[in-house]
Amino acid sequence: MADDDRTEKLRDAIDAIAKEQKTIGCAVSVRDYNGDFRFGHHADRLFHAASTIKVAILLAVMKAVDEGGAKLEDALHVRNRFLSVVDGTPYKLDRSSDGYPQLYKSIGRTAKISELADSMITSSSNLATNLLLDFVGTDEAAKVLRDAGVNGVHLRRGVEDENAYDEGINNETTADGMVELFAVFRGDFLSKKSRDHAIHILLNQRFTSMIPAGLPAHATVAHKTGEISTVCHDAGIVYLPEREPYIVAILTEVDSDKNGRRDTVAKVSEVVYKAVTGKAK
Amino acid sequence: MSELDLEVVDGLKLSEEHRKLLRPGEPVEDENGNSHRLPRFFFSVPNWKRAHEIKLASHFTLAELMTVDCREADLLLEEFPHYVPCAVTLIARYLEDLRREADAVILVGANGGYRSPVHQRNEPKSSHCWATAADIYRVGSTYLDDEKSISKYADMAQSLGPQVFARPYTQGDDHLHIDLGFIAVTPRNWSEE
Repeated sequence: MADDDRTEKLRDAIDAIAKEQKTIGCAVSVRDYNGDFRFGHHADRLFHAASTIKVAILLAVMKAVDEGGAKLEDALHVRNRFLSVVDGTPYKLDRSSDGYPQLYKSIGRTAKISELADSMITSSSNLATNLLLDFVGTDEAAKVLRDAGVNGVHLRRGVEDENAYDEGINNETTADGMVELFAVFRGDFLSKKSRDHAIHILLNQRFTSMIPAGLPAHATVAHKTGEISTVCHDAGIVYLPEREPYIVAILTEVDSDKNGRRDTVAKVSEVVYKAVTGKAK
Repeated sequence: MSELDLEVVDGLKLSEEHRKLLRPGEPVEDENGNSHRLPRFFFSVPNWKRAHEIKLASHFTLAELMTVDCREADLLLEEFPHYVPCAVTLIARYLEDLRREADAVILVGANGGYRSPVHQRNEPKSSHCWATAADIYRVGSTYLDDEKSISKYADMAQSLGPQVFARPYTQGDDHLHIDLGFIAVTPRNWSEE
């Protein structure tokens, strides 16, 4: 199938799903390493990044490791006290809404950077995220994104920084930005060791009801989901043993009281898989 | 050797690398702009096993007052011996008294005891560089992360004697800081000349 046809059919399929699921916004970006197929649908639309921003922090941590600023086995003080980027006001995270509440038992003691990076991604721990961002620094992490050539992901603050939220300072991303970010884990910006480590963490993702749900059982995905009341995202690298991988980012904006939001992303993942491989799931 | 069965060293005779980091006897400014000389005499701690074995007071080991994270300089964090100012025994004594008053376990956080002058959390220089301070994050089962709990134990610590400073609660605090000021101990049989 010619790429133009493929693009058009995929666009129609995504629009049909978005209409059926009544999404407010649905953006998709695809980069296939098996050929040169690239696809974008509203791929430059900015969304609240939600927890997908944690991939950017993972990149900054691994870059710090490569540059000798940190070691994965280093211990970091675990505390629930962070400073707002707006005015330096201290704030703390809500344990009940954290994907990894067990980490709060370590408050006062230390945890290894490798363990924090793992729980930030696989369990989407907000506490681990803010500890790592506090360690590498928000400005430094944003600089790492720029140095890596990731232009569509905007890292501006830690998780649950309400003062920043009230000022409209949020972490944002486009679908293209997420694909750029995941592509860094396949390039030479990081050492091979750090790339492999990051991919290993992303492959161990616990939340599998979105992109993986739209794929055949033999697919593996190095990915990160992100959900808040009004957005539901998933982005990652899809590995299939019979071919080179592809990167896909599926970002959606939804009504806060809408059910089935993860299904929407899974359905889009399925039509992307079909368009990329030419096979039905 | 000291009463603790630890070797005491004169910081001025340490390697150049260590002196650059520990800055023994050098004047530094605290957060109020006052000048104080950093400690010169240190216990030489050969390994973590010894640090966990050595009791500075009945319920406080040396390890509890020298645990830092990777914000400490690599050399001081990763290579033994570790050097801890001799005044560390004094704060342990007051922590023991506080434990008795509170009738509960007192837990000092990581980075909450001795921190070297180059530790990233030590700018401006605080009494943690003298090993005369402790950041208490938990008393018994109570995490000290609100005004009520911090004020309660601050008052208790303050009642131990006029030499104890307990920092009043400020918004967002997640520990109680107590210290004895800038005490530099010269061990018996050592000369400052």
